[in-house]
Amino acid sequence: MGTAIQTVPTPLTSDQAAAMAQQQIKKHHVAIVLLHWFNATTWLLELATGAGLIVSPYYRFAPIWYLQMMEGIFGSRANMLRFHIAVGLTWITVFLVYAIFGFRNYLHTEVLQHEIGLDADDLRWLKIRTLLLLGRTDEPLPPQGVYNAGQKLFALLVYSAIPVIMLTGLTMTFHWFGTVIVAWAMVLHYFAVGLVVSGLMIHVYMGAVFPEEKPAFYSMITGVVNELYAYHHHFKWWREVKVQEQRWRDELTPKPEVEEPSPAEKADLNSEPDGAPR
Amino acid sequence: MPRFAMVIDQERCVGCQSCTVACKSEWDVPNGFARTRVRQTGVVGSFPKLTTSFYVSQCNHCDRPTCVPACPTGATYQDKTGIVRVNRDLCIGCGACVAACPYGARYVNAKIGKVDKCDFCASRLENGLQPACVATCPAHAKVFGNLEDSSSEAFQLVYRQGAHRVETTQVAIGPNVYYAGKPEHTELLMAGFAPQLPRTIAPGKIWSSLLNKFVFLAVGATFLGQAVAFFRQLSVGEKQFED
Repeated sequence: MGTAIQTVPTPLTSDQAAAMAQQQIKKHHVAIVLLHWFNATTWLLELATGAGLIVSPYYRFAPIWYLQMMEGIFGSRANMLRFHIAVGLTWITVFLVYAIFGFRNYLHTEVLQHEIGLDADDLRWLKIRTLLLLGRTDEPLPPQGVYNAGQKLFALLVYSAIPVIMLTGLTMTFHWFGTVIVAWAMVLHYFAVGLVVSGLMIHVYMGAVFPEEKPAFYSMITGVVNELYAYHHHFKWWREVKVQEQRWRDELTPKPEVEEPSPAEKADLNSEPDGAPR
Repeated sequence: MPRFAMVIDQERCVGCQSCTVACKSEWDVPNGFARTRVRQTGVVGSFPKLTTSFYVSQCNHCDRPTCVPACPTGATYQDKTGIVRVNRDLCIGCGACVAACPYGARYVNAKIGKVDKCDFCASRLENGLQPACVATCPAHAKVFGNLEDSSSEAFQLVYRQGAHRVETTQVAIGPNVYYAGKPEHTELLMAGFAPQLPRTIAPGKIWSSLLNKFVFLAVGATFLGQAVAFFRQLSVGEKQFED
């Protein structure tokens, strides 16, 4: 048996930290890495074209030059809409495949609990993280699971918005359920996307710019993070990984031979509880 | 550039619905809907001096159409000749323009899930033909022409014989369908078929008044949040987490 795994994060010696920085822990399956960047590309394209498609002075938010530029790029707004629909349908198809084949791995209740279930530590984390950003506290952040509370909140938002975006998109594309529903679908589509974009502001900043989370960004390329980062930022997850590793090690290590039972014990095993011969 | 207009001579119209039939067959309009139709106006005056007439309704191709800004995707637009048209490739059939039209000239074609309405038979015009309803009218009650051309019959009817628009002080958006006839005919039209105030569909109202502001606020707040964090990061300097 190895040394006992810590239950709370403790300060590391520089040797320990250096050693942990060299160790990699797998965070994302390659399928998830690919799906993430497919999703990011899709969102970029859909946001760019979607903004260019709302031209009514009552509803538009993009400046006129942007609308003209997008129309110029696609030749006509009708082409832009075709592109928007084609990319959207591809997006839905890919996610449908992911949902069907990855159902047990990624959409299981237990997994979802890991990804979007907020516990007491998470709520405290949200408070302290905000205060830290504002420079109002020096309190250490409470330990986090594989995803921190901020990521969980964003996931919660995205998980609720994505079905809405998909269904309203399909409703508009295929004119499902008639005019009144199509009109409401249009508004819901805009609203759900708007909410996700507000979350994206933080998601992109935290992922790509915020210095302390840089390993998280690289993990979306390589699929791994170093152990030191996991220890500092996702302690509860780091512990789970270590406990799992320990269990595997224990299973692989040959167990010491079981001692031969003494003749007295043997006799005991061969007899019925009441002592009568078999 | 021509400026097209339609003039309906109420003294000539006999309410035979030939124009309705021609239009429906030309444009494959589904049952229960029409791009143009003829309705009875009722009666005005006292016996025995009674007057009746017919109201031929269709898209008015207004100078300042209320349907164009109402369309979220810009599927409804006004072309260079003033004809208000629907680009079916862009229309999603949300019905915003249907509510916005004061003349009830639009409908959603459920078969194709797109909005449809009179376009002065633009494709026939491009081929040098008259609109189907004009070509078929047996009484020559419908006159189509270019108001920029002083020799056209439409020009004569509008600028020399006083054909008028169906407008009110509240709804004056420059319709380009004119009605020629006696004052009684005008009275009948205004009594029964005056334009309604343009409406906005409920989701559209919520979108422009509430949701736009909410989304702007939400995106603005998170953008500001990350901008504050970013400038803090720049001013304090990056602290590598390995430290």
